[in-house]
Amino acid sequence: MSKTSKSNPKERAPSLEVLIIDDNEQITKMLTTFLELKEHKCTVANDGKEGLNIIKENRHDVILLDLAMPEFDGYSVIKDLEENNLLKDHKIIVFTASTITQDELDQLVTRGVTSYLLKPIDIDILLSKLVETANL
Amino acid sequence: MSQFNITTSMTVTETVEEGMFQTENPIHELNRMLVRYDLTPNQAKVYLFLSKIGVKTASEISKALKIPRTETYHLLSTLQQKGIIFSVFGKPTKFNAVGLEESLEILVNNEKSRINELEAGKETLIKLWNIIPKYGEDDEESQDNKFQSLQGRNSILVKLEQMIKESKENILVLGTEADFKRFYFTEFTELLNKTKSELRILTDHTADSPHIFESVLPKKVKKIEDKNREDFCFIIKDDSEVIFFISNNKVKDMLAVWTDSKAFVTTLRSLFSLMWKKSHHIDETDAESLLGSEITYEHRLREIEQEKMILNYLQENFKILDTGKGKN
Repeated sequence: MSKTSKSNPKERAPSLEVLIIDDNEQITKMLTTFLELKEHKCTVANDGKEGLNIIKENRHDVILLDLAMPEFDGYSVIKDLEENNLLKDHKIIVFTASTITQDELDQLVTRGVTSYLLKPIDIDILLSKLVETANL
Repeated sequence: MSQFNITTSMTVTETVEEGMFQTENPIHELNRMLVRYDLTPNQAKVYLFLSKIGVKTASEISKALKIPRTETYHLLSTLQQKGIIFSVFGKPTKFNAVGLEESLEILVNNEKSRINELEAGKETLIKLWNIIPKYGEDDEESQDNKFQSLQGRNSILVKLEQMIKESKENILVLGTEADFKRFYFTEFTELLNKTKSELRILTDHTADSPHIFESVLPKKVKKIEDKNREDFCFIIKDDSEVIFFISNNKVKDMLAVWTDSKAFVTTLRSLFSLMWKKSHHIDETDAESLLGSEITYEHRLREIEQEKMILNYLQENFKILDTGKGKN
């Protein structure tokens, strides 16, 4: 089930709309809190299938996509978008803790993924990468 | 002298006979078991009588077993055709039985030849069937949800084997080891092993006992964690057919229902997926299962490290916020 954070009307409009697709609920909850603290708006999907549906229905400034998820993983999300010629329409940052080679990461970028981040990563670097990718 | 001998022999025979087929006698159990080798109860009775008592005439057999004489002749003739008794040259003709071990071998081989003949005739039957034109529309019927009740181990096994052989996509198996132990020494597990479809098995299993699916790759088997696991057992083929067992532990004779009902299959498929997700692989240690089967230890460590980094940041920020509040 997707969860969209409620923004406080008194606060400034969120500068970025971020979609987080990750099965690790601890990470999605804490990232949401962190990004909201920075006045960004977050939508969360805890599995690939759900994330894919949200991508197809809504526009987000940037998408943080985990690769290793049970059942429908990040690779499946990328493959589906690719097959539907939608991959290059979205700014996707692959955000993974998987053991993945540089070649594999480069291949993902060649296919149309915007960027990648390997867990664990400093939270400030993560934020700047988000802003940088969204503004590309 | 000869008269005396026969009388004595008859008396002994009759006395033995009186005890032979009483229910508590093991010979009664033997008689029941021989029926499974394609013998009628009376054929089995005559065979066992001759095996234990030895050479006898048809008339003596008829008297001793209290079977009408004409029927006795028929029984003897059939048993001779099957090759498990033989006649001894003389007048009147006497009969004797082939040893039990050899007889069983003969009966099993007879059954095997019959199956081979049936197998060989299958193609001809199908060809003949296809020559006959269709007279009615069966489209509607084929789209209906079909249910088939299956009683007895053999009929269930035949259906299971057919499903596994025909499967092209996936086979999902859920049930306790006790459920599947009934299929020991059958083709069931062998077929599961050979299937090219994606195989997933959810079963209970304790590490200290050998399990029926031990020949199946461990990554295809998971341990059921659900406490109600003993209440259901089913096998789904290609998300289109399911065979589920009814009261499997309470009824002596196995009872199952096969169906291609979409509603049934979808419901049980969802249940299976849910349980598969919750369960862990049979060869995992508890520590591994805690970490998740599809995610490596290293992977999990990095995730934890990431969680820690975000948490630290948040804690620092909330501390600042709290301090700010305090100052206000």
